[in-house]
Amino acid sequence: MLIALCAGPMAAGIIAYCIGRVNRTARDYFADAVAVIETGLFIWLALAYLGGSAPSFSAPYICGLGISLKFDGFRMLYGLIASFMWAMTTVFSREYMAHYPRTNRYYMFFLMTLGATAGVFLSADLFTTFLFFEIMSFTSYAWVAHDETKESLRAAQTYLAVAVIGGMVLLMGLFILYDIVGTLRMDEIYDALNRAVLNDPSVKGRIYAAGACMLTGFGAKAGMFPLHIWLPKAHPVAPAPASALLSGILTKSGVFGVLIISCEMFRFDPGWGLMILIFGVITMFGGALLGIFSINIKRTLACSSMSQIGFILTGIGMQGLLGSANALAARGTMLHMMNHSLIKLVLFMAAGVIYMNLHELDLNRIRGFGRGKWLLTAVFLVGGLSISGIPGFSGYVSKTLLHESIVEYMEEIPAASSYGYFKFIEIVFLVSGGMTLAYMTKLFTAVFIEKGEEGSKEQEEAGAMAVSYDTETEGHRGTYVNLQSAAALALSALVLFVFGICPYRLMDRAASLGTVFMHAGEHGEAVDYFTFSNLKGSLTSIVIGIVIYFLIIRKLLMKKDEEGNTVYIDAWPKWLDMENLIYRPVLEKILPFVLAFVLRIFDRMADHIISLLHRSLLREVEPKRPLMYGNAFTHVLGAVMDKVVELLNRTVRRKSPKVINYEQKLAFGVEGMIKMSRYASRSVSFGLMMFSMGCIFTLVYLIVMLLIHISG
Amino acid sequence: MYLTKDIPLSFGADALGLMFLVLTVSMWVMDLIFSIEYLKHDRRRVRFYVFYVLTLISMTGICLSRNLLTMYLFYEMMALMSLPLVLHDQTKEALSAGRKYIFYSMGGAFAGLAGFFFIYIYADTLTFTPGGVLDMARLAGHEDAMLIVTMLVIIGFGSKAGMFPLHAWLPTAHPVAPSPASAFLSGNITKMGVFVIIRYIYYLVGPEFIRGTWVQYTFLALTMLTIMMGSMMAYKEQLMKKRLAYSTVSQVSYALFGIALLTPAGFTGAMMHVIFHSLVKNTLFETAGAVMHMTGFKKASEYKDLARKMPVTMWCYALVSITLVGVPPTSAFLSKWYIAQGALSSGTGVITWLGPVILILSALLTAGYLLSVMLTAFFPGDEYDYPCLEKKEPRITMLLPMLCMAAAAVIFGIFPGPVMKIITGIADVLFV
Repeated sequence: MLIALCAGPMAAGIIAYCIGRVNRTARDYFADAVAVIETGLFIWLALAYLGGSAPSFSAPYICGLGISLKFDGFRMLYGLIASFMWAMTTVFSREYMAHYPRTNRYYMFFLMTLGATAGVFLSADLFTTFLFFEIMSFTSYAWVAHDETKESLRAAQTYLAVAVIGGMVLLMGLFILYDIVGTLRMDEIYDALNRAVLNDPSVKGRIYAAGACMLTGFGAKAGMFPLHIWLPKAHPVAPAPASALLSGILTKSGVFGVLIISCEMFRFDPGWGLMILIFGVITMFGGALLGIFSINIKRTLACSSMSQIGFILTGIGMQGLLGSANALAARGTMLHMMNHSLIKLVLFMAAGVIYMNLHELDLNRIRGFGRGKWLLTAVFLVGGLSISGIPGFSGYVSKTLLHESIVEYMEEIPAASSYGYFKFIEIVFLVSGGMTLAYMTKLFTAVFIEKGEEGSKEQEEAGAMAVSYDTETEGHRGTYVNLQSAAALALSALVLFVFGICPYRLMDRAASLGTVFMHAGEHGEAVDYFTFSNLKGSLTSIVIGIVIYFLIIRKLLMKKDEEGNTVYIDAWPKWLDMENLIYRPVLEKILPFVLAFVLRIFDRMADHIISLLHRSLLREVEPKRPLMYGNAFTHVLGAVMDKVVELLNRTVRRKSPKVINYEQKLAFGVEGMIKMSRYASRSVSFGLMMFSMGCIFTLVYLIVMLLIHISG
Repeated sequence: MYLTKDIPLSFGADALGLMFLVLTVSMWVMDLIFSIEYLKHDRRRVRFYVFYVLTLISMTGICLSRNLLTMYLFYEMMALMSLPLVLHDQTKEALSAGRKYIFYSMGGAFAGLAGFFFIYIYADTLTFTPGGVLDMARLAGHEDAMLIVTMLVIIGFGSKAGMFPLHAWLPTAHPVAPSPASAFLSGNITKMGVFVIIRYIYYLVGPEFIRGTWVQYTFLALTMLTIMMGSMMAYKEQLMKKRLAYSTVSQVSYALFGIALLTPAGFTGAMMHVIFHSLVKNTLFETAGAVMHMTGFKKASEYKDLARKMPVTMWCYALVSITLVGVPPTSAFLSKWYIAQGALSSGTGVITWLGPVILILSALLTAGYLLSVMLTAFFPGDEYDYPCLEKKEPRITMLLPMLCMAAAAVIFGIFPGPVMKIITGIADVLFV
């Protein structure tokens, strides 16, 4: 049963491709059916689980190490969320992808990723997690690259690079872990590690090394700083249904991994908790900051995802710090994961509706699109208010729980000296919450309140064109979204809304589902979400958010252009991009260059030694040229001069090369001299000349001697 | 039958030999099927097939020989018989590559021969025996000399397996041969080097003799260096077949690394990698060959958009590339897993963790040089005009072997049971 939930959609993906080659409509219905059936199966399993049966699956020989799946509260909830999101996005895809090319490929990978994601969340051992995790990374590549524009290919490259590098580092962690404990089953790891540490305390360092490697792998997928780089790039370029899943559920598979590390390997380990907390806080604040600066609706949502993952990581970190009294943190983590998945589903689909009509994502171009479109407004509002943590909406509950866990830790803090740090963390937490509200307000006012001033005509035309385009194919005259997509949107928003208004009945129960998985302690008393002390944090955030919106976004991030219209400006400096500033230069240029340089030496070593020997010790003996003319001196001098001439010809005198052979010339010259002297020495006049020269020398000698004699 | 008075030529089959034999023969058949179409219009194809058969015969001899001398004879024969496959095109390039091939092969084999003489002094028999044949009492006092000779043998026979420092023939010779031959050379003839080293270490010298000595460490270091070097050079190489040849340099050293670890897990991983790499590399060279045959493209950059022209070929390429990177659930992931576990449990100091790190780094580079080609083939960018493409898929006789091997590479990853059983059987005998 469980394996069918994973393998079924993968097989269905291939079937969908085959169907799509024949009939596209049939394929669409088939894909819808698969996703809905998957949801149905999960609901059925969930009901059975609540009735007391917990199925599990294991196949010890498959893939060498065996895969094993199981079903518990957390897995049930996330299976439900995943399949629900897939069902909604598949239905939504139909209209959204109607005019895209290569939809067969899209659907194939869409369904395959569903199977892989189900596998990740159902996995009972880390090997199975890794297996499905890698499949998921590869199949989801096809989403990001789907448009095949320059940006999307580049973003997809980044995505895959992060996924592959992260996956390999994760694998390294698994190597080490498996070597230490000899098992990867999640429910055995904790005890096995404790035994290993008891046997040999020095193994502790290796456990942390394994943990760090695994955190890199899972954190990269989750979008944890500093491995978040793929998020703001990949989400905007992917088709909207895919962005919703990337953001809502694929990042959660990374969080799932982080949870396994934190709750199984390093259960109640304060040191580990603190590290996760620090990463979480940076991610939370960094994402929110990027979100405020962004002027692209999907990019803002992607940055927001990063920020919300930071909130979740903060919760995971607090779980470690709080030890066995971590009920609040665990419940907050669980709920925020769930909320964020559902919220991003709604928001990205809403952004998808905008893109579907305008083919624009820039806030200045989509301005005012949502005016008068009550469904879209309502849906976006539910999502926006939830994510900003407004009381009465779902995000409020989870953020409150996370906030309370920080407050709880500060109250019980052992050392007064670190109180300040945690106060700081609390402030950052609240400010990030405020920033969430600020950037959501920015999006909402831009799309739904402000009038599209500049270029509104074009925009309306584009909208009208898109609408008329739709009318031809879908038959819904004058609407910006067809019935199916609207139903998907509305249903997603409705679920989110219902969760928000029933914090005790639904949210608390959902939170309890995760406690076994996270090994949370007993939940003392039910939290009353609407007391003043609990509302205080949220209200602080709201005030901060309003201040940020009016003081920073409206004052600094909006400008009047030449025509007097206010426009959103992209104030984030272009060069300040970790990917282009650090990762790409290092990984694409510097490391390959250095490594290739060093390794090339080794590669050519044997060849070079051989050729060196060939030229020196073992060279072929050239037959000596007989010295017909000239002597050794002229040959050497001539050869040197020839080389000089050759060099000059190649450099200075390239235009008018000098053709001359000095070696030959010198040899002939010497030969001529020798011949001359031979003739000369034989002649009488030469004798006479020598005689007179002798006389002159004698005469000079006598005069010199005489002068010396006189003077001396 | 005796070669000299007291050295017999003897043949026999054991599990290891049979495993290599089955692998060799099945890959040989695959490449043969591929070559039918590939060499259809080649006027020298009769000569090619003659030597192709002779190569198989000599490799069969290696797999089935029961003592060192017999194996050595067939080993030299294999080098000579496969030479015409490299020379096939008779271009200037092919001739010089052939010369390089034979120099390196012979040089390596002579180094191996030195070991033969030495072992002969200190052992009663040269018949392969699990655990080694060395007579320790007779060897007492000469251990160092024996170690030096062992190192020489490893380096010598490592030449065939493309191990540094005698690897340089491989990236020169493999690309110039016709594609079926380069597939076989790269996928299987290199494995004979691995096989001979296994025979030498595990069946003659004995793993206990070199465990923990400088020989083991040097061997490990050389293989690690080769793994990195091959991957890096492949990453920097633009000619597709040359890139694949460098990839072979790297990947065969995975197997050698596993062997050098002298642990059961390492050995198991090495054996699996021998099989899986063979499947993958044969497929890769065949896809490269098919692309050359149908379009004439030789460079990696020319593969852009090829997935639409040759979808089946490129799907085979994609599957085996992912396999070679080591992404589960494909097969090469398993071999890497076992090799890494072997390294971590080998107790070889720094190599326990450096080995797996090198494996991971090399896997990343493998992704860099194989997957990048795959991605541009499948996702060429939006400036391509899709409807105007012509299909260039090769004929079924070319596709069939690729499809079979690619499927096997994936399926063995999901259901490794039978392969594991055979290899565990071999390892159980070797590591008592």
